[in-house]
Amino acid sequence: MIKRIYNWIDERLDITPMWRDVADHEVPEHVNPAHHFSAFVYCFGGLTFFITVIQILSGMFLTMYYVPDIIHAYASVDHLQHKVAFGKLVRGMHHWGASLVIVMMFLHTLRVFFTGAYKAPREMNWVVGMLIFFVMLGLGFTGYLLPWDSKAYFATMVGIQIAASVPFIGDYIKDFLQGGDIVGAQTLTRFFALHVFFLPAALLALLGVHFYMIRKQGISGPL
Amino acid sequence: MASDQRKSDEKIVYVGDSRVRKYTKNNVPRDFSAYPGKSEPFVPNFLLKEWMVGAVVLMGFMVLIASHDPPLGYEADPTNTSFIPMPDWYFLFMYQLLKYPYMADEFLVFGTVIVPGLAFGGLLLAPFLDTGPERRWYKRPIASSLMFVGLIAIFYLTYVSWTNYQKTLEEQGIVPEHIERAERIKQGQIEPGTSGGQEDEPIAIVDEDDEGYDIYQRSACVACHAADMNGQANAPSLRGIGSKYSREELEDIMRNGIGTMPGGFWDQSIDAGLTEEEMHHLADWLARQVVPDDGGGEEEAAEPEA
Amino acid sequence: MTEANKEEFPAEEMPAIRKEMSRRQFLSYTLGGTGAFLMTLPFVVNLRFAVDPLLQERAGSEWVKVVEADKITETPQSFSFQKRVVDGWYKSEPKMEAWIARDENGEIFALSPICKHLGCTVNWNGSPNHPNEYYCPCHGAHYTKEGKALAIAPEPLDEYEVMVDNGFVYLGNLKPNERV
Repeated sequence: MIKRIYNWIDERLDITPMWRDVADHEVPEHVNPAHHFSAFVYCFGGLTFFITVIQILSGMFLTMYYVPDIIHAYASVDHLQHKVAFGKLVRGMHHWGASLVIVMMFLHTLRVFFTGAYKAPREMNWVVGMLIFFVMLGLGFTGYLLPWDSKAYFATMVGIQIAASVPFIGDYIKDFLQGGDIVGAQTLTRFFALHVFFLPAALLALLGVHFYMIRKQGISGPL
Repeated sequence: MASDQRKSDEKIVYVGDSRVRKYTKNNVPRDFSAYPGKSEPFVPNFLLKEWMVGAVVLMGFMVLIASHDPPLGYEADPTNTSFIPMPDWYFLFMYQLLKYPYMADEFLVFGTVIVPGLAFGGLLLAPFLDTGPERRWYKRPIASSLMFVGLIAIFYLTYVSWTNYQKTLEEQGIVPEHIERAERIKQGQIEPGTSGGQEDEPIAIVDEDDEGYDIYQRSACVACHAADMNGQANAPSLRGIGSKYSREELEDIMRNGIGTMPGGFWDQSIDAGLTEEEMHHLADWLARQVVPDDGGGEEEAAEPEA
Repeated sequence: MTEANKEEFPAEEMPAIRKEMSRRQFLSYTLGGTGAFLMTLPFVVNLRFAVDPLLQERAGSEWVKVVEADKITETPQSFSFQKRVVDGWYKSEPKMEAWIARDENGEIFALSPICKHLGCTVNWNGSPNHPNEYYCPCHGAHYTKEGKALAIAPEPLDEYEVMVDNGFVYLGNLKPNERV
């Protein structure tokens, strides 16, 4: 039955080559940890993606309870963490996952750098990867404010002040991030929008480009 | 469509413009023999190994989140001056960098733009700066040594920042809020998950002894706006109504209504036995129902009424 | 070996391929299992989190003590009470009102004063033209003592769940009028 549905779709859309290309491509020996244990360094990219998927998943579920409003934000986080079953785990997943994703991405970047994998013809993919890195840092910065506890509030104050010290455009960046005259209600909704819609959208687009280029160019050869 | 000449059993694959039937599959992978060494297909052989690693990492991760509650301090309080702000750990090196004299004050641009700009810009453009044919790190001394310097700087700055923070905490005897709160939850001093839901301070009725209050109780207003003037359903509270409307406006609303409120209550009240004079008095009394300046704060509300 | 390649090989090489196929199948199943584990574990945790409201015990009616039962007469009287509502992280004490009276059997019932027409507040004997009826001053809807709509309003007045205990009247949740 499934096979017949598949054939029916395949006849019309010719989807076989698409997944074949992904599924059947050859993975060379030098990145395979089963052949060379040191090749585990090639796993960091995949692990970064895996943790990112967990982040997206837990983030989606967290918004079922979270309210981006200064009166209720803290209370809703407190509620979902302590009053909802598994709330500790889900918030923990998102909180610790955020750190883990940075660690994994850092290691992945170092692996690419020290194996010289960014050299021609893969320059563009390195640039895209760095952009992903910046987007991830942006996600970390905007997400830090959302629980609206003192730590979040003062860290954001400092972060915005640093941004404001950039010459010429600093004040505009500050106003854009802050939304109002103070770090307050308007800042929180802004950070929420950036954290939940804009940055993840940018992240997914960049990840798509990143993966497409890896597939198109293949993995870099052994040293 | 040129379907008339086609045989009935011919298989058609429409791609793009459906008049074009010729289609070449350009994504089919090359035969394995084209690859050197012990290569293996991505699915299932290689992916399985990768996912095994993923499963191990996931288990470690689940153990971490099960054993460590995510930190949550007290609700943000902008007036708290004893709080030492700390960014997330991966921003600490930047934070520490800005504390050095050549990165702060009149050199602030150095710390916020030039140094990070050079570092991140260099990293972003690395493949265009390091264009030699060599890939091994020890054969690219400049690129590798710059990266090592950067790494050492990041680790050093993060370390210094963290130890300074710990030292300050110790000197000032401060326990970070999220630790203190977790401790108090454990000892049962605070009930977690019950914070928030700030309840509005009730606005007091001004001059309750006035005749206006009695008139209000006998007027048609009381049916919707309730005897205690708190309103209900779609009738708003009349407490503090004087802050919104003047006496003349209130009289107009009583006669002609406003928003979803229909008009005619002035006349209904007259029908119910009130005089014109009493109604004017009521409007005047309602206009005196003003919210105290600080928005009905605790101290103001606690003051005895005149 | 992939299925695509299999077709291109002559028939005599088939046995070797079949052996490879079974290994491949084993790997595929293991892969499927591992993948399922990788996705299910985080997903189940999140799902339990999301469906928590389904599994919470319904609090049922929270009864609010309103008035002594012997104060209730055959003539409806208005009583106001505050109900404490905890909705997740949001706590409120909405003010509510009820018209409480006894029916001909002496049984106590309570009606919501919210007019079913457009939500104004009805009043017992609110108009001299409609004696012994609930009357809404906004658009002239009126109701019988039991809450039955006589004009304009499409439905009877809502009814509170009533409990009399130890000489006190307790009111619970609102429900559609079952008396008319």
